[in-house]
Amino acid sequence: MIKHLFKLIWNKKKQNFLLITEIFVSFMVIFAVFTLVVNYYQNFKQPMGFEYDRVWVINYQSDVKIKDKDSLDIYYKTMLGNIKAMPPVQGVSFASSNVPFSTNTHMNNADYKKVHVNRVNYYTVGDTYNKVLGMKLTEGRWFGKQDDAATVKPTIINQSLRQQLFGSGKAIGEKIGGEGSKRSVIGVVQDVKAKGDYQEAGLAMYERIDTSSNDGRGRILVKINDKADAAFESRLYKLMASNSNNSGIEIEHLTDKRKTMNNTTLIPMMILLIVACFLIINVALGLFGVLWYNINKRKGEIGLRRAIGASGNSVSGQLVTESMILATLALIIGTFFAIQFPLLNVFGLAASVYLVAIALSVIFIYLLVLVCSLYPGKQAAAILPAVALHEE
Amino acid sequence: MIKLQNIQKVYRTDTIETLALNAINLDIAKGEFLSIMGPSGCGKSTLLNIMGLLDMPSKGSINIADQTTHSLNDKQLAKFRNQKLGFIFQSYHLIGDLQVLDNVELPLLYRDTTAKERRRLATEALEKVGLSNRLKHFPKQLSGGQRQRVAIARAIVGNPEIILADEPTGNLDSAMGNEIMDILLQLNRNEGTTIVMVTHDESMAQKTHRLVRLFDGSQVQ
Repeated sequence: MIKHLFKLIWNKKKQNFLLITEIFVSFMVIFAVFTLVVNYYQNFKQPMGFEYDRVWVINYQSDVKIKDKDSLDIYYKTMLGNIKAMPPVQGVSFASSNVPFSTNTHMNNADYKKVHVNRVNYYTVGDTYNKVLGMKLTEGRWFGKQDDAATVKPTIINQSLRQQLFGSGKAIGEKIGGEGSKRSVIGVVQDVKAKGDYQEAGLAMYERIDTSSNDGRGRILVKINDKADAAFESRLYKLMASNSNNSGIEIEHLTDKRKTMNNTTLIPMMILLIVACFLIINVALGLFGVLWYNINKRKGEIGLRRAIGASGNSVSGQLVTESMILATLALIIGTFFAIQFPLLNVFGLAASVYLVAIALSVIFIYLLVLVCSLYPGKQAAAILPAVALHEE
Repeated sequence: MIKLQNIQKVYRTDTIETLALNAINLDIAKGEFLSIMGPSGCGKSTLLNIMGLLDMPSKGSINIADQTTHSLNDKQLAKFRNQKLGFIFQSYHLIGDLQVLDNVELPLLYRDTTAKERRRLATEALEKVGLSNRLKHFPKQLSGGQRQRVAIARAIVGNPEIILADEPTGNLDSAMGNEIMDILLQLNRNEGTTIVMVTHDESMAQKTHRLVRLFDGSQVQ
């Protein structure tokens, strides 16, 4: 029977072309939606890699005119000391402007032997940055005083970069970077999802802030206890204003920044989902209409089939199977195009994201076609053969 | 072979009740060639549909090939039609998107037969109606007489005991009509197939063993 139906579909290829095209286009849109959803879900399942609760970010203008390096170092240490001396403060650290959940991004490359890695997030951080954010070291150590006299710049990388550069080999003590900018890996930290719950952690390398320079000190991270309130925030603001002698001070909470960042990520997906929903409704109505029209157009054939031995259920089954065969043909074409995404590594997403999205899209389209063809199929089964033959 | 007892058929709508057949009693013997005549709207096709189990009578009983049919469910009726009955229609009812051979194979698709066997039987049936050279043609590439011969091949491919023909020559000129009639007579004579034919053509009806006339839903001869 399947061969017979294939023959019937093939002989009506012109009529079926539009329906196959419609299912194919729907599949590609659904595939795009599922790719986003699967990607976000897979990222969401990953641990954050740090603690953002009760961490505040102080944004200030670092325009101190001290030229002597030692004096500058003392100035910044004093600033941190004053903040840390406030009762609710548990930890404090300088950081570059690309703190977690900010839209700022600093990128660098990393080389190791013949491996070249692009698009590595580059952070300059203080010696207590890991403690303020509760980051977990998986190998080696964090920055400390022993790095003051280091001849090769120390660097700390995240787990993903470690995997790309060294695989299962040794990382600690290895030199990365090009000639003249060699860095020695002293530690590996767990991946940090710095762009929110739904964005992947990506690759990251951390470097120690130069203690005798203004560079890389755009932000101060402050870990506070649960007693910190608005009054404390006000005192902190005043302290910073008196220390840095300017009014460009802003204090943000990482929890708020996380919400903003998540919304920024989710809103485009929500818009796409809404558009996709309308498209799916249109496609469903289209499919339903085409199948309904086919049944009315094929009443004579249905009556004939009933006369020569088809039961109502087998007529219904035939129409549903025909729709599923059409869906299969559209899905074969759709899958051919969709599979190019993981093969060509489009957008740099993991292959598993595309493969799961393809599988979900295939299931979704089959369900959609099944649902849209069941009722017309049932109606076809209810047609009285004598009536159908008479109408023809 | 076919026994109709007190058959009545009433069509009802919200406002109108139409008596299409009334008190039809008919006994058709095995191997008989019976024609049914009557003016348009007298219930000929309705009677044929009831004999073909395509429609149910409002009253009365039908016994075909020693099988009382009123207790059969949809699936059993379909199987019965497939194995015992062959249909020929005035407008052929060929599927335009299928080639001649595929059209003839259709009844066998609802049986447990292999593709090879289906092909063999369909080819044989087409040889019987003289269309073995048109296997790969589509219906629209054939003349009216050829289409009706394809429909006959489809009706006989499953070797049914009974053929029900609803005005098989109605759309054909007299020469083609005679050709079709000759094929039906041969089938009846050589294969012993019981044939019931509805016709408007007196000359065609005269060639059959027995003629039944209907008028306003009642049997008058």
